[in-house]
Amino acid sequence: MSAATLGSRMGGQLVAPFRLFRGRPVALAGFLWLLFVAALAVLGAVITPFDPLEIDPVNRLLEPASPHWFGTDHFGRDTLSRVVVGARMALIIGLGTVVVALTLGTLIGVLSAWFTSLGHVLMRIVDVLMAFPALLLALVLMTLLERSVLNTIIVIGIVYTTTTARILYGMSLKLKNEVFVDAAICSGASTASLLFRHVLPNLASPLLVQASFIFAFAQLQAAALDFLGLGLPPEIPSWGNMLAESRTYITRASWLLLFPGAAIILTVFSMNLVGDALRDRIDPRFRDDIAGV
Amino acid sequence: MLAYATKRLLTLIPTLLAASLLIFLFIHLIPGDPAAVLLGDTATPEEIAALTARMGLDQPIWKQYGLWLGNVLQGDLGTSLFFREPVLSVIAEGAETSILLASMTMLWIVLIGIPVGVLSASFHGSWIDSLSSGLSMFAASVPTFWLGLYFILVFAVGLGWLPSSGFPSIFDEGGLANLRYLLLPSLTLAAPNAALIIRLVRAAMLDVQREDHVRTARAKGLSPARVVWKHVFRNALIAVVAAFGFTFAALVSEAVVTETVFSLPGVGRLVVQSILRRDYPVIQGVILVIVLLYLIINLLVDLAYAWLDPRISLA
Amino acid sequence: MPLLEVDRLSVAVQSDGLLQPVVREISFTLERGATLGIVGESGCGKSLTSLAIMGLLAGTPVRITGGHIRFDGRDLLALEARERRRLMGAAMAMIFQEPMTSLNPVYRVGDQIIEAIEQHRRCSRRESRERARELLQQVRIPDPAGKLDFYPHQLSGGMRQRVMIAIALASDPALLIADEPTTALDVTVQAQILDLLLELQRDHGMAILLISHDLGVIAETCNRVAVMYRGQIVERASSVALFAMPRHPYTLGLMRSVPNPDVDPDSNLVRDARNEPGRLDAIPGRVPAIDERVDGCAFHPRCSMAEPVCRRDDPAVHDRNGHESRCHFADTLS
Repeated sequence: MSAATLGSRMGGQLVAPFRLFRGRPVALAGFLWLLFVAALAVLGAVITPFDPLEIDPVNRLLEPASPHWFGTDHFGRDTLSRVVVGARMALIIGLGTVVVALTLGTLIGVLSAWFTSLGHVLMRIVDVLMAFPALLLALVLMTLLERSVLNTIIVIGIVYTTTTARILYGMSLKLKNEVFVDAAICSGASTASLLFRHVLPNLASPLLVQASFIFAFAQLQAAALDFLGLGLPPEIPSWGNMLAESRTYITRASWLLLFPGAAIILTVFSMNLVGDALRDRIDPRFRDDIAGV
Repeated sequence: MLAYATKRLLTLIPTLLAASLLIFLFIHLIPGDPAAVLLGDTATPEEIAALTARMGLDQPIWKQYGLWLGNVLQGDLGTSLFFREPVLSVIAEGAETSILLASMTMLWIVLIGIPVGVLSASFHGSWIDSLSSGLSMFAASVPTFWLGLYFILVFAVGLGWLPSSGFPSIFDEGGLANLRYLLLPSLTLAAPNAALIIRLVRAAMLDVQREDHVRTARAKGLSPARVVWKHVFRNALIAVVAAFGFTFAALVSEAVVTETVFSLPGVGRLVVQSILRRDYPVIQGVILVIVLLYLIINLLVDLAYAWLDPRISLA
Repeated sequence: MPLLEVDRLSVAVQSDGLLQPVVREISFTLERGATLGIVGESGCGKSLTSLAIMGLLAGTPVRITGGHIRFDGRDLLALEARERRRLMGAAMAMIFQEPMTSLNPVYRVGDQIIEAIEQHRRCSRRESRERARELLQQVRIPDPAGKLDFYPHQLSGGMRQRVMIAIALASDPALLIADEPTTALDVTVQAQILDLLLELQRDHGMAILLISHDLGVIAETCNRVAVMYRGQIVERASSVALFAMPRHPYTLGLMRSVPNPDVDPDSNLVRDARNEPGRLDAIPGRVPAIDERVDGCAFHPRCSMAEPVCRRDDPAVHDRNGHESRCHFADTLS
């Protein structure tokens, strides 16, 4: 397959989101929400009515009303503005973990499938890592590292590398047995060329589905880590941190629980819907492999 | 079947050993002298030297591992820096809460997850199906701690029906009625996991429904209910049982958060506090216990799998 | 009164919101103890017909859109579901094409037979187990008592199909519908299963409705044959008459498509315009898709004898001595 046709096939898959959501209005709404979140992430503090970091003790714990449509927190900071800039962290964490997990996971999974002896060793290591429940692994890793955005991304990324590697291992094994691989080998293809031009393109759509689920779950893991005080540094406004900080005030100010929580829920839900829609469109032989992260 | 069980047990051991090695190495990954780390900031040089000698920290790594492993197998998981008690007894104190919490949660998951999943599949395409699919995907999108906080807000603070924190032992005053302290936490934990089980049961049932042997069952003139339970569900169970393995893993992870939200004196909260307190022996010990438990649960799941599917053990 | 009477039965498939007809007003009868074969290529609707008769269309996108099915005088389509189920597995039974997947892998073979027995008869566990053993013996499975405790995956394809037949025979049915029972089996096993079916048919006086795409299978087992094409029966006769003198171009084409090793190779081949030996005589073209519209005779696009009238008018049934054919030129063919 030439690069041009490959590109156009993948382009066709990616550039037609609206065709993808035909008959799925809720998933389309989810997709639009995600676009909205992305827009907020990019625009950030530029569009917020108040400075998200500005402390204003006089106006602490105000109920939602004009001009603080989402109320204020215990420092008097405007909740709406903070929710808006929290979108940036959500996006960064999401994309970051996807990059880490997919890159490492694909590398490990595909190479393990292709080079069987190496594969046995690597998959055993993956099995051992998978003996540690996800959040626990993240917690343990975070004890070794300082709280930072990068470390959070790395840690959660590593956690999801294991499942991704396993999934890709399974799928690559299936592909390896397909006739087209034998055909390519017969026509003299080198291993590198086989992997890049034949195997990886076939894995593109399942990888996209996996990416969407990782993005979604990473939000939940990051929020949990923030809540426990082991995630992002407290001064960074993320939805998880907002919930962590306001924990003692929620009985008096339930809006502090509602708005950041709703933001997380809507984003995760949307990503799950999109992932589901994508999964139904991918190659049926892989459908069982992507049962979920 | 016995042969299969033995075989699986044997493969468990290397994985366990490898995991224990990782856990052992954990201390050495922390920056600083391990003995100093273990004794904390207040340690004197003499104490550090003494511990170094006692734990053989000046010996080659593999010898240390052997020593550590030997201790572990005798039940000595070290001493907590914070409590100054053996790690094992610290963990044991939290065990009651965590075990009861996990059991109640699994109960909800099974009681809600399986029937709803079966119903969804049986009424595939109807509003029942769409509604339960939608609700379960939603439930899986909610952060557990948020749900917990909301439950506290509504049921404990708002309505005052249930307590919001703590858990007196059921062996204390109050007896089994004390379980109500675990009601909100277990429902919180159950929600996302029940959602997952619903989706898995539904998917498995739909897959099995399409299989030829179901048509044969119908051709015998069996009632629809009998076909659904004896033939479709029974076969779908095979796929579902596998899910209970990672449900347990998810439970363990999320219990950490839930116990923190509800201030339950369980092992999960112990882990978090130990991490914040840098109580490394406890962290090590708890992780070890949890990993062991997880591997055992997976083994049991595999055995259940083999018991349910004769093709596996009798192959 | 015939045992089974199919009267202008029409079946359609729901696809993308539209109902596409697959079986168009077919009619046939089957007498007690007789054998009728329905032969045709895939897609002609023969399997759906058998499923419709058996009542296994619930939960699929396939619907009966017209006609009647009378079994022993009773209109099956007018029956309540529970009444219908009382017949299923009892007076009428069915065996399917894929023995490898038609048995439930998690239950023992004996238990699956017992389930069929106990569904329609009250008896003790011991009685039903004995009856199951007896059935396995009837289908000529060696060591029937021992095999009762086997799981399906421990048996070969041929044995599994015998178990399926045993299940079908559990309540001594008057009608056995066999949908491609030997297609998935090796040739030698095929012959054994067909022999078994014939033997059981003679011993029990059972009527058999055999569905197959394989003319040879039909020829060996059925006294009457109906040829289906695109949802219609295009020829129907006793098998002797049909194979001796087919009266429809499609049937002719089917017969010629089968290479016959006993015959002089040259005579099997179509001779082209210069009377030179050519290639194997396959019917040109393909079966039209479900939503394709064909005017006039359904077969005319592939028929070497097509005339303008074939494009215009759907042929009527031309009956000569009980040998029916839906072809404008049925009489000139023979």
